[in-house]
Amino acid sequence: MDETVAEFIKRTILKIPMNELTTILKAWDFLSENQLQTVNFRQRKESVVQHLIHLCEEKRASLSDAALLDIIYMQFHQHQKVWDVFQMNKGPGEDVDLFDMKQFKNSFKKILQRALKNVTVSFRETEENAVWIRIAWGTQYTKPNQYKPTYVVYYSQTPYAFMSSSMLRRNTPLLGQALTVASKHHQIVKMDLRSRYLDSLKAIVFKQYNQTFETHNSTTPLQERSLGLDINMDSRIIHENIVEKERVQRITQETFGDYPQPQLEFAQYKLETKFKSGLNGSILAEREEPLRCLIKFSSPHLLEALKSLAPAGIADAPLSPLLTCIPNKRMNYFKIRDK
Amino acid sequence: MAGILAPGLGVLAHLERLETQVSRSRKQSEELQSVQAQEGALGTKIHKLRRLRDELRAAVRHRRASVKACIANVEPNQTVEINEQEALEEKLGNVKAILQAYHFTGLSGKLTSRGVCVCINTAFEGNLLDSYFVDLVIQKPLRIHHHSVPVFIPLEEIAAKYLQTNIQHFLFSLCEYLNAYSGRKYQADRLQSDFAALLTGPLQRNPLCNLLSFTYKLDPGGQSFPFCARLLYKDLTATLPTDVTVTCQGVEALSTSWEEQRASHETLFCTKPLHQVFASFARKGEKLDMSLVS
Repeated sequence: MDETVAEFIKRTILKIPMNELTTILKAWDFLSENQLQTVNFRQRKESVVQHLIHLCEEKRASLSDAALLDIIYMQFHQHQKVWDVFQMNKGPGEDVDLFDMKQFKNSFKKILQRALKNVTVSFRETEENAVWIRIAWGTQYTKPNQYKPTYVVYYSQTPYAFMSSSMLRRNTPLLGQALTVASKHHQIVKMDLRSRYLDSLKAIVFKQYNQTFETHNSTTPLQERSLGLDINMDSRIIHENIVEKERVQRITQETFGDYPQPQLEFAQYKLETKFKSGLNGSILAEREEPLRCLIKFSSPHLLEALKSLAPAGIADAPLSPLLTCIPNKRMNYFKIRDK
Repeated sequence: MAGILAPGLGVLAHLERLETQVSRSRKQSEELQSVQAQEGALGTKIHKLRRLRDELRAAVRHRRASVKACIANVEPNQTVEINEQEALEEKLGNVKAILQAYHFTGLSGKLTSRGVCVCINTAFEGNLLDSYFVDLVIQKPLRIHHHSVPVFIPLEEIAAKYLQTNIQHFLFSLCEYLNAYSGRKYQADRLQSDFAALLTGPLQRNPLCNLLSFTYKLDPGGQSFPFCARLLYKDLTATLPTDVTVTCQGVEALSTSWEEQRASHETLFCTKPLHQVFASFARKGEKLDMSLVS
């Protein structure tokens, strides 16, 4: 086994937390059951890793086996990357999409290999009709760097692909071209949507964040919402409070629904607008050029945070449509200009 | 002096006796009078109580009679109410059953607070398959709020073409696509589950089930060469393929009988659903076995 491959596998296994190790090794399906049984996973991690490397050498692990292990690790640790969303479209009057996985893989690999002599391309199909692609980039003269790969998750027979944000931005156009041509599309465009949470991006892009539908069969009883009011308050105060609180609850429920919101970490607004003020004769109002500023909202769970603003009394209901349109418009990067 | 008092003693005593007699009889008569007075008072009291008792009895009787009369009037109303309630419940049950039965038409819907939630129930060859929902918001412009349509069905395209101008066309077009997809998926699933014995390799399929590729043998474990089939469904609203290619693996030039078989298989795949073709292969195989036995 090549030294670089051994080192690569070693570093990948070292990244895996001990409690996930057996699951990931089983998913990799490279080492046999018998081999895995010889390993004592209760040892110190370094010893376990050494034993595993030894077994991989016995089985002569190749670079593609190592790359596959890396894909599986990334599938378990998706949040370590920030994912961009790309949308492709077909030209007018193009044929129906007869997607052939073998053809796609061959075509994709060929395009990249023709452009850059040195590139490692690996594929792993998932059960949800998605294919994970891992690309390690080299140049005409240097070997591929296995430690800075780009990952692409493509949902076949849809126009959407998710790409991990990479520092090596110069390869993005080539990657886009390979994906477009191999999947028989015409054009690829980057959407203004980005997050660490691949599942949430998928839910937003495919409009599947709410899977409850009203039917005549469902008999969901009206749930009593506890408004969290202090019972010991003066009963007259409670009445006034209730009316407003109910209004806020209703509007929040209409805007955000009862389902869990997809998880995003931020929303960014780039404003290029002229200053608007009620006061006449202010210096800023006279300024002809638009002002430029950047507003960024951050949160561990932005949409749930926005949903709780009005009920918590921090903001008025209804919230600004610029905030509430995020899942619907499938954007969390906005550019706002004067019309 | 004692002598004068002595004869008087007898008189005084006599007078005393008479006095006590009188006072006694006076007492007695007084007692008698008071007793009589008491008797009289009690007598009047008795009379009063008797009168009161009679009055109350009369009142009770009167009340009972009027209550009976009331019940006699009220009972028919109460039974009417109960009957109405049962009738309403029955009607409600009927309506609910009809609404559920609408699922069998393939297209049903329920009004929501902001629009309508449409339910598309797909079927193929009389088998009820998956259901899909589209929740529409009735606003200008009409828009899809959320849905459970699979991501590879071109919902956005269909909506772009028809949703704003002709909602009927939008729904029927979507029904066509979903029913055809369900039908193709059903055929592929049936092939994989029921006829795995005749396949010599895994079935290659894509999400829309519009490109199927597989190798099969008519006599598994036998000497014959396997066939390779490639089915293309270019019409996404159809459940039968538009292009079929069947080749024979490992044979350069086919004998006429193999060529005939190959061509007939191509025709079969074009005209009959996939699992039915394989069912006929399985039956032919059984016939061959029978002939070998006899």
